[in-house]
Amino acid sequence: MAEDLIRMEKINKFYGRIHALRDVNLTVRTHEVVGLLGDNGAGKSTLIKVLSGAVPLTSGNILIKGRKVELKSTADAIANGIETIFQDSALVPQLSIARNLFLGREPIKGGSFLNRLDQDAMNASARELLKRVGITKDIPPETPIAALSGGERQAVAIARAMQFDSELIILDEPTNNLGVAETQGVLRFVREARDTGHSCIFIAHNIHHVFQVVDRIIVMRGGRVVADDIDPKHTTIEQVERIITGEELLHAITA
Amino acid sequence: MQQRTFLQSFVSKPEFGPLVLLVLELMVFWSFNSDFLSLPNISNTLSFTVELGLIALAMTLLMTAGEFDLSVGSVFGFSAVLMWTLFNSEMMPLGVAFLVAIAASLLIGFVNGWFVTKLNIPSFLVTLGMLLVVRGTALYVTDGFPQRTWNAEGNLFANVLAGSYFIGSFRMYMSVIWFALAAVAAHYVLTKTKAGNWIQASGGNPNAARARGVNVSRTKICLFMASSAMASLAGIISSIRTSAANPNSGTGYELEVIAMVVIGGTVLTGGRGTIIGTVLGIFILRVMRNGIVMIGVPGLAYNIFIGAIILGMMALHSWLERRHNSGV
Ligand SMILES: Nc1ncnc2c1ncn2[C@@H]1O[C@H](COP(=O)(O)OP(=O)(O)OP(=O)(O)O)[C@@H](O)[C@H]1O
Ligand SMILES: [Mg+2]
Repeated sequence: MAEDLIRMEKINKFYGRIHALRDVNLTVRTHEVVGLLGDNGAGKSTLIKVLSGAVPLTSGNILIKGRKVELKSTADAIANGIETIFQDSALVPQLSIARNLFLGREPIKGGSFLNRLDQDAMNASARELLKRVGITKDIPPETPIAALSGGERQAVAIARAMQFDSELIILDEPTNNLGVAETQGVLRFVREARDTGHSCIFIAHNIHHVFQVVDRIIVMRGGRVVADDIDPKHTTIEQVERIITGEELLHAITA
Repeated sequence: MQQRTFLQSFVSKPEFGPLVLLVLELMVFWSFNSDFLSLPNISNTLSFTVELGLIALAMTLLMTAGEFDLSVGSVFGFSAVLMWTLFNSEMMPLGVAFLVAIAASLLIGFVNGWFVTKLNIPSFLVTLGMLLVVRGTALYVTDGFPQRTWNAEGNLFANVLAGSYFIGSFRMYMSVIWFALAAVAAHYVLTKTKAGNWIQASGGNPNAARARGVNVSRTKICLFMASSAMASLAGIISSIRTSAANPNSGTGYELEVIAMVVIGGTVLTGGRGTIIGTVLGIFILRVMRNGIVMIGVPGLAYNIFIGAIILGMMALHSWLERRHNSGV
């Protein structure tokens, strides 16, 4: 079995008095795509926000390749090889596609004193990346994000996660608002990411999308993980739906 | 989008409106009084222009990052008073007093930035408080009296900073050169550098910027310091040019500077800024001030015109924005 990339142990998270995560354990192995399912408010976004440094945890441990880490900010998480595409995608509307793709990691030319952006290099890789996420329409990389459709924005956010060699890529409902071609682009990206040695956590309400790409399914309900080893090859979508709603006892399947 | 003609994309630029307005203004004043474009008048207008202009350049960057600074007018007055008080009391030579004044303004800018970014207080309140503190200090230490300034004639330091010399019959002020250099530098920083990208991102979507590892707080603190330092420099240049250091000088400048910046097309809410637009905005207001006096309108009516220009330009920018969004 592949080695553990991420281990989250006994994670608890309180928002004031709301207990959003209750003793959650979660493991992601290398080269593995994990689907994270659960109804609205189950705690999925909270869990991955903890893992991506966006919100602090109340108690618990996070280990990356067996080493304990503290993720105090998203920058910390990025530095530890964890890239996240948030549900409310985090782009700067006034900046161009290319500049959003490289925000925080801009390529520089002409020495650090001049601090000059290598705009040509940014534009060239931006064109390349947009093609890979299935934007076949010819959108110039200088276009500001504000001029894009919701789906195109999502695609840009995904393209951004692709370009840096992160070991774990987290996608929180990346197929929301997407058209057919763009959804296929996202799913293709997830497969490609695994084939090139990355791990993914994939959150979506559309179970069909999840079934198409994941190796393993984890289900959350009421802040707890209620099933964490569902094999999509040996389970039906209906069974998973019943676990999500709590109608089916999990041991029947996970056994 | 690709099929737009050159003319269409030029018209949709934020700098287009201010450019047209400036050209119109020059034509109107010139047709009323042909002395308006005479060399002495141009030189005179330029020398006034750059002092507020220096502040406006820094304010453009700060406003692009989503903040603004109301304390610049008081720093303008305070710095000159501080420098001349230190020099007059024979505590230090002028050059050192200058550095002390700049350092004090950097500290003021740092405190502004710290309150805004670390305590999360809106810049309107922080810099309003700072305005009162700094202006109050200037009035208190001077008892409200102007400071003696010595005649700057012949001092190398004063000449480099604020001297003037003649090119033919045209009187060129050193401060104009400083302003031109600062404008080019600010334009370069905003449009071509990593720092500029961070400035725009900090104003456009600070959470997104932070999530990518952009240090939003440090970016803003640096810009508050730059705006304060520019106000200080401008106040000192002005005191040398006019041979006066008055604790009340610079009163109301903050609003005029912000007006220059927004007339030029930089948005008050951050994310988008233009140095070219600001330079146009600076000239629009200074030409207006100079022009209405030359054609015989009482100077007291100046504010009516400025207010009308601000309202008109805002209406124009919003109209262009809507036109753009509806795809025309
Ligand atoms: N910032 C917050 N402050 C207070 N409570 C919060 C906050 N964010 C989430 N919660 C609460 O935590 C619980 C889990 O929310 P979370 O966003 O993790 O759910 P989710 O599984 O991602 O749901 P969805 O499928 O709707 O995105 C919910 O009860 C929610 O109300
Ligand atoms: Mg969610």
